Amino acid sequence: MAILKVEIVTPESALWSGEATALLARSSDGEFTILPQHTSTVGDVVPGLVRVETSEGELAFAVHGGYFQVGAGEGDGVTLATVLAGIAERTTEIDVPRAQAAKEAAELELASATRGDGNDHAAQLLAQAALERAELRLRSASK
Amino acid sequence: MAGGQERILRRRIKSVQATRKITKAMELIAASQISRSQARIVANRPYRNGMQRIIIEAALGDPAAAKKMLIAPEKVDTAIVLVITGDRGLSGAYNSSVLRAGERLVRQLRSEGASVRLFAVGKKAAAFFRFRGMEVEQSFVGFADRPSFSDARLVAGTIAAPFIDGQAQQVLLVSTRFHSAGSQSVEVEQLLPLSVPEVVVDDSPKALKGYTEFEPEVEALLTYLAPRALESEIFSALLEGAASFHTSQQRAMAAATDNADELGQTLTRIMNRARQDSITTEIMEIVSGAEALRSGK
Repeated sequence: MAILKVEIVTPESALWSGEATALLARSSDGEFTILPQHTSTVGDVVPGLVRVETSEGELAFAVHGGYFQVGAGEGDGVTLATVLAGIAERTTEIDVPRAQAAKEAAELELASATRGDGNDHAAQLLAQAALERAELRLRSASK
Repeated sequence: MAGGQERILRRRIKSVQATRKITKAMELIAASQISRSQARIVANRPYRNGMQRIIIEAALGDPAAAKKMLIAPEKVDTAIVLVITGDRGLSGAYNSSVLRAGERLVRQLRSEGASVRLFAVGKKAAAFFRFRGMEVEQSFVGFADRPSFSDARLVAGTIAAPFIDGQAQQVLLVSTRFHSAGSQSVEVEQLLPLSVPEVVVDDSPKALKGYTEFEPEVEALLTYLAPRALESEIFSALLEGAASFHTSQQRAMAAATDNADELGQTLTRIMNRARQDSITTEIMEIVSGAEALRSGK
């Protein structure tokens, strides 16, 4: 019996782990799907939705960039897929008003950093990153 | 009258008891923080292990590319040293043992001809090193008790920048490792170039080396992976530092509470004797006064 175990892990906690039928995400090479018995793979995960299909339905996670590894798990016929992300959350747990507020704040920040002498490259990048995170949250929450 | 001494003793006992209340409270708070920070270490473990697995896979998958990122430099001109201490004192030897190890490391590096740039987490480091004529370039304060991952990111970004620019060839970490509630030790670790965790020979036959696929290629993967791995290492060091701090503080405060108990007891005994003495003296005075009056009749 081929089993796929999936773990979604962040530095602060193991977000989710359990048995799944498929793992869908996007790496910098393009979208990919991990099924049971997948060969050993290591790769990155670009910011976006990571979906886990289980026998009880589909779970979705907003992952703000990270890595994944597929390898043999413990036990016979078990494939273990681990997604490591600095920041990740269940789409059902996204606080939409907060993300909206963060998006607006990031937009303002970006505008002021761009308007300045143009030297504040670091602030610009930070604001850009914050904006992207907020947008990803909003995009994921509506799904 | 000897009542003056008694009053002084009473005041001292009161102050000892007040101090005991504070140390007891700090002990209890530290104890509650220990389990919380231990839980955070446990929660961080899957991420840390996963990160190390990926680095091992990548190193095995393309040793040539990995070498650039992972092999120690032959000559170190400039080394970066990150020292992780606490923000607060009253924690036994926690801060001083890390700081002393850091000082030793800096001296050693300097004697080998490398210049050292110091970075520190925690309030205690800057004053310590300045007194010894070593300037801390930047201190990160305010999160040593409860570090979050974004704190680790900030630290990692700051100390990795000179390494990436080529200004420094090595990044070292001095921190307290939390092995268990009863055992913590100060350790020096090389953060950059990444030290590959000891590759344990995989005994499961399914894990055939060299059959791992990479998306994207190992070289591209490692460029971005190295900073992430650094963040992960620093985060776990911060978590273990926080847990060690609380353990150390709890132990120090328990000892202080015991001391206060003992001191209070001794002082009470002395005070009782002083009171007894003054009563005896008073009775003696009355009796001898009465005696004198009677014999004077």
